[in-house]
Amino acid sequence: MSDTIIIGMSGGVDSAVAASILIEKGYTVEAVFMKNWDEKDEEFCTAARDYKDALQVCEILDIPLRSIDLTEEYWEKVFKIFLEECGIGRTPNPDIICNKEIKFRAFLDYALELGAKKIATGHYAQIKNHENTFQLLRGKDSNKDQSYFLYRLDQYQISKSIFPIGDLDKEYVRKKANDLNFLNHNKKDSTGICFIGERNYKNFLKKFFDTQSGNIVSNNGDIIGKHDGLMYYTYGQRQGLGIGGGYSNREAPWYVSDKILSENRLIVAQGHDHPDLYHTFLTASSINWISGSAPLSESKITAKIRYRSRDASCRIIEKAKNILVEFDSPQFAIAPGQSIVFYNNDVCIGGGIIESRSNSQSK
Amino acid sequence: MLYFDHSATTPILPEVAQKIDHTNREHYANPSSIYSLGRKARSLIEKARQQVADAIGAKAEQIYFTSGGTEANNQVLWSKLAEKKKHIIASSIEHPAILKALKRIESYGITFSLLPVDNKGTVKADSLEHLINENTGLISIMFANNEVGTIQPIQDIVKKTSSLDIPFHTDAVQALGKTPVNVSTLGVDYLSLSAHKFYGPKGIGALFVKNKKMLKPLIIGGEQESGLRAGTENISGIVGMGLAAELASKNQKDCFEHLNILKEYFMENLKPRFPNAIFNGNHNHCLPGLISISFPKNRSDILMAKLDRKGIAVSNGAACNTGNVKPSVVLKAMGIEDDLNISTLRISFGNGNSLDDVDQLLKALEIII
Repeated sequence: MSDTIIIGMSGGVDSAVAASILIEKGYTVEAVFMKNWDEKDEEFCTAARDYKDALQVCEILDIPLRSIDLTEEYWEKVFKIFLEECGIGRTPNPDIICNKEIKFRAFLDYALELGAKKIATGHYAQIKNHENTFQLLRGKDSNKDQSYFLYRLDQYQISKSIFPIGDLDKEYVRKKANDLNFLNHNKKDSTGICFIGERNYKNFLKKFFDTQSGNIVSNNGDIIGKHDGLMYYTYGQRQGLGIGGGYSNREAPWYVSDKILSENRLIVAQGHDHPDLYHTFLTASSINWISGSAPLSESKITAKIRYRSRDASCRIIEKAKNILVEFDSPQFAIAPGQSIVFYNNDVCIGGGIIESRSNSQSK
Repeated sequence: MLYFDHSATTPILPEVAQKIDHTNREHYANPSSIYSLGRKARSLIEKARQQVADAIGAKAEQIYFTSGGTEANNQVLWSKLAEKKKHIIASSIEHPAILKALKRIESYGITFSLLPVDNKGTVKADSLEHLINENTGLISIMFANNEVGTIQPIQDIVKKTSSLDIPFHTDAVQALGKTPVNVSTLGVDYLSLSAHKFYGPKGIGALFVKNKKMLKPLIIGGEQESGLRAGTENISGIVGMGLAAELASKNQKDCFEHLNILKEYFMENLKPRFPNAIFNGNHNHCLPGLISISFPKNRSDILMAKLDRKGIAVSNGAACNTGNVKPSVVLKAMGIEDDLNISTLRISFGNGNSLDDVDQLLKALEIII
């Protein structure tokens, strides 16, 4: 019998097509639906629908679908950290932690226990074995590339994973789903943080925090508005500030340039090009190098400071527990809590969590 | 497929399926219609009502057809909203059709207390008197538990509380066909049944009510079922349930013996192979053919998936908990530690299983554990 691969089936089109490709390649394929979030609010609970979609796909492919409930692990290892980070005014990315701790740990453990050789997911990323080291590569569809979310994986995790659609375009994936009569072939791509989904971020966070409103202060020190609580805002944010600018006003729009927690002040700067919004240096912590070791100092690398940001040339000038990074040109709205992810051409080499930013090497 | 999950549901008997099919084709008229075709349909329903009544020692007019055991349980509980005494006592290991319904009607003015169970899953009947108050309007204790099979001393409890005149309900969906069920011996006021648990069709059940005045409709509309369950009758389902109930009660002794043989054989052969395995429940008072067994350090969802690969169907806890590896509420109430709780399989044999099937199950367990 061929090797058994267990695929994490989300009910979306990507993992569905990934399963069909594994079957075509001759693997014995089984699917697992992960339940990571216990949503009482039915309006936003897509899990039941997602499960039905996954079931329909598995019926067509004639593979078993099982469920695993990881809500407790998710709450402990992902959501708690998300809340902590929000509470200190940072902008966390829980989907990155979810990959590290849930999909490629709890789910991986479960699948291996079930006798799987490897797990598969519908991520747009690729794996290459280069001189006995597993490399993580960008997905071929540059518009869909999800390697950013996978940079915290280690050699073991990658060695046990397959990304069957990493070398495909989204368009091709949708067409294949349609050809296979998957009902989810034109299902909308999921956006944003998975447990928040389509709902309002502010309303969601309100349930978990008592927030204090405070002043919005311009970079000149003028009080120009009120904010509802610092955690509702992120660096570089323009909309939802309630201080004019933008479409209805001739003046240039305002952007969040800083948050001063100790004084509960939100600092804003006017105009996208305002220098206060740009920084050339950043420090990052919790560094993960996928190969297990840091890149050579002289190597020319690029970095993304958020998902979908353009690659920016940079150098790592201090490599200790934390790292100091210098960009060739200043970067817009570097947000502590987000991840900086490094690339050597198409190879994702790792990254870390942004701690601080500055315009001089001495911080 | 080797099917060992008869407590979840049973395969329909061929003669019952045939009767249902025939009824659907030939007796399609509305039983409330007065022409001959309608009258015939009505008489089929009344015959089935008698069959169900006979199976549990009741009178036909005490039987009301529902969509299943869940609806029957709900109807009893929701009926209490219309009564003065709004306190209900239930066992802590009832099916969600009781426990969750109680939580729901709490918001409408019902209060409830849960009767604890011992480590074998038997209710602590002595605690009952502490829970009863002057406002207690119902005691609901299941006949036999669906996860561990423990049969409750219903008759004794009813006797103990008879002087207090508190209506007594028992959810007997797991019992009929496996062990004698007789409403007058038990002395209960309400009893719930579900056809698909005794080789009948799904989507049909019945409620025994000693006195019609003790029941209120849950589904409102036409005058069907004496106004206590509106909606055009599920004739074929009712006919199927009637036949299944008759056969279940007729074959109960044979079934009991057959299932016990399978269970004894399984347990005897399992013990030497898995000395660490732990059997849960009360072996002196339990359903035949139902085994709750814990394999320490083996998570039940993993075991189930591995058995599924070999074409073997068993369950962990109740089937209604699918997709959930959280500890079973029933095993928790029995004081079983979480580690062991989530390592528990429920194997429920049925009439169609043979000793050869049990051998295959034992072999499969030996390979995967």
